Amino acid sequence: MSRLNNMSSRILQPSQLRENWTATISDHVIDLAWSPDGKYIAAASVLGPVTIFEGHRRAVIHAFEGHEFGTMSIAWRPDGKVLASAGQDGKIRLWDMASGEATHSLDGGAAWVEHISWSGGEKPILASAAGRKLKLWNVVGELVREYPDHQSTISGLQWKPRVKQLASITYGGVMLWDPQQSEALNRMEWQGSSLVIAWSPDGKHIATGDQDSTVHFWIMSTGEDLQMTGYPTKVREVSWDATSRYLATGGGQDVTVWDCSGRGPAGTKPITLSGHQDFLSVVRFQHRGKLLASGCADGLVYVWQLRGNLRSRTVHEAALTTGVTNLVWSPNDQYIAVGDESGGVSVFSIS
Amino acid sequence: MNTTMLNNQVPVTVLTGFLGSGKTTLLNRILTENHGKRIAVIENEFGEIGVDNDLVIGAEEEIFEMNNGCICCTVRGDLIRILGNLMKRRDKFDYIMVETTGLADPGPVAQTFFMDTEMQEKLQLDSVTTVVDAKHIWQHIDDSDEAREQIAFADVILLNKIDLVTETELEQLEARIRGMNGAAKIYRTKNAVVEMDKILNVGGFDLDRAMEVDPQFMEPEYPFEWAGVYNLSESAHELVLQEGPDPTMKVALAPVNESTDEALEAAVEPVVMVFSDNEHELSAGGTLQPGGQLIALNLTADELRFDVQIDRPGAYALFTEHHPDEFQAQLFGSGALVKPVVEREFKPDHEHDDEVTSVGITTPGDLDPDRLNDWISDLLRTKGIDIFRMKGILSIKGEPNRFVFQGVHMLFDGRPDRPWDGEPRCNSLIFIGRNLDRAELTEGFEACLA
Repeated sequence: MSRLNNMSSRILQPSQLRENWTATISDHVIDLAWSPDGKYIAAASVLGPVTIFEGHRRAVIHAFEGHEFGTMSIAWRPDGKVLASAGQDGKIRLWDMASGEATHSLDGGAAWVEHISWSGGEKPILASAAGRKLKLWNVVGELVREYPDHQSTISGLQWKPRVKQLASITYGGVMLWDPQQSEALNRMEWQGSSLVIAWSPDGKHIATGDQDSTVHFWIMSTGEDLQMTGYPTKVREVSWDATSRYLATGGGQDVTVWDCSGRGPAGTKPITLSGHQDFLSVVRFQHRGKLLASGCADGLVYVWQLRGNLRSRTVHEAALTTGVTNLVWSPNDQYIAVGDESGGVSVFSIS
Repeated sequence: MNTTMLNNQVPVTVLTGFLGSGKTTLLNRILTENHGKRIAVIENEFGEIGVDNDLVIGAEEEIFEMNNGCICCTVRGDLIRILGNLMKRRDKFDYIMVETTGLADPGPVAQTFFMDTEMQEKLQLDSVTTVVDAKHIWQHIDDSDEAREQIAFADVILLNKIDLVTETELEQLEARIRGMNGAAKIYRTKNAVVEMDKILNVGGFDLDRAMEVDPQFMEPEYPFEWAGVYNLSESAHELVLQEGPDPTMKVALAPVNESTDEALEAAVEPVVMVFSDNEHELSAGGTLQPGGQLIALNLTADELRFDVQIDRPGAYALFTEHHPDEFQAQLFGSGALVKPVVEREFKPDHEHDDEVTSVGITTPGDLDPDRLNDWISDLLRTKGIDIFRMKGILSIKGEPNRFVFQGVHMLFDGRPDRPWDGEPRCNSLIFIGRNLDRAELTEGFEACLA
């Protein structure tokens, strides 16, 4: 009996993630993004500078100055040749990877540009959100559309996977936009404030994490919504798995995973992954694989294997010295880049 | 040393007041007099005077009401976004000032620091400071909910522009404000000149100091407005009144030891109890007797004369619900006017008909934590909308340390404070809000004593 116990505990013990390299940027890592080919990692500091590292070794390729007063977010153009950044100087900048220079400085329309998102497909479009202002830009930085002001500050933006349709969230609900039209395609109203948006990869659902400690599922075919309650704090962490079956959410110390297969998630009991000792800052499924990574203010990164409520477990872990602020899987799902509160950027191998 | 420094949270002062009250003048004074401190300013209003600081962030007031419709869940989205971002910087600020618009409701601003976990973790609401234009506030105090709520929510109130009003006007204003908010520290200022330690790092929890500044701040309101002590002989007496503003008036006549202030004072508390009893109505022509009865004089007859029966000569205190002048009430003995030897006016509990008032409770002894918890939970659930602020220092049974707390509407934040040591264990708390029932609150609280 005791031998069996020993064996099973040895099997269940998570392995340490192998650290490939680690570096430090000027301050709190506010955003982190792998280039689409996985060669580079871009890391933005809350103070402004954006650093481009090589993905596989500790080498700085470019040090962009970013934005005065602070950078808010970054996004790679799908061809990987340009990185877009948005900041508290009201600007969107396009940084050319070949020359290392900013080729464009675009006016977002308010004091802070908080969100940017590139569409996929031919001739990608960059959407930017500054205050209530939503603007669309083409690959060469020309303004293609400026929408009438939203009713309240835009708190998130995301293009529908593989389709040129954009969703924006505000206090008041979700809005859908077609870049060819100046009017909203649809408004899904709800009195509350959404903080983060995630389309399911199949485009059938939009999930939002909300200020009032709930998660919303918007069912795109019917426009109906489901509200999931019971979170201890506001929810800023949401991530779909590749099959669109599972939605992982934060909103406290535990990772909560909703199963959307069958009739779910309505009326189902979610999978709860416990272990973190402080508030979660990020949850992220692999792009194609089934592993789920979580990062927390306690400085720990856990990689979970999902097998129902009883058999889900941590398979890998890593400990940082300060709180995790962001975490992203490499395009091939083999590496995790992690940013922390004191500017640490680390890349771990999963195998 | 205050709590904000111990737990590494950055203190925040919320500055409210109508446009033109002197908010920006005060803000500029704070910024210039605090050299070496990194102060971030969040401004919702760009007034006629600019703010002289590198770290001014303009924000558009954005109120997030929640789907459940509960006003206590209403927070300020703009503040969460801006402060959340500021607190990510390693080179953190020493202090944050949030200047609201003159028409801002202070509720959502204050609630932001309790409702949002991120804000609660990193920031500490130090005080709500309200600047009042002593000359022009009268235009707003009666018909503006915002003006009244800014006063009610305040921990510190600056009566500014005192050079534009007379001393009497100031006293009236201060009494009016004190009636609405019994816990705020009030300072009179000209050009918003005030010592910085009265504005910054005051610590919302520092009730001790509030009580030092104004020992009357817990003074209760009374169910009567006036009392007089008469020396009465064994002869026939008569209380004669004229028609007045009310159809009835409650009175109580109580024997006292002697006709002195001390003897009157000693009678106050027992008579407060008498005034909480059921009243006995007495029509004109009836007889009023000294003793522990609450009498409601019916004042609807043509001739308002009541006999007063005195069996033993001595000093008697007459307590009246309204001031006797309102009814030209006079006492006669053997046809001659009898004047009170000692008299006193009391702060009535209906002084200005202000719906916004404070209720202070001070009780020695230890509290039963379970009963206290149940009572507070129930109170906040049912009355939270009307309770703007709540603060207190409590003595919990078995706990060596004082327990200090403050709340905004239904939100509550409490923690152990310094030890009691030799100090007498005592509970002090104050509620500021709309339509508060003093008797019910006091009774509910006292039922929590262990």
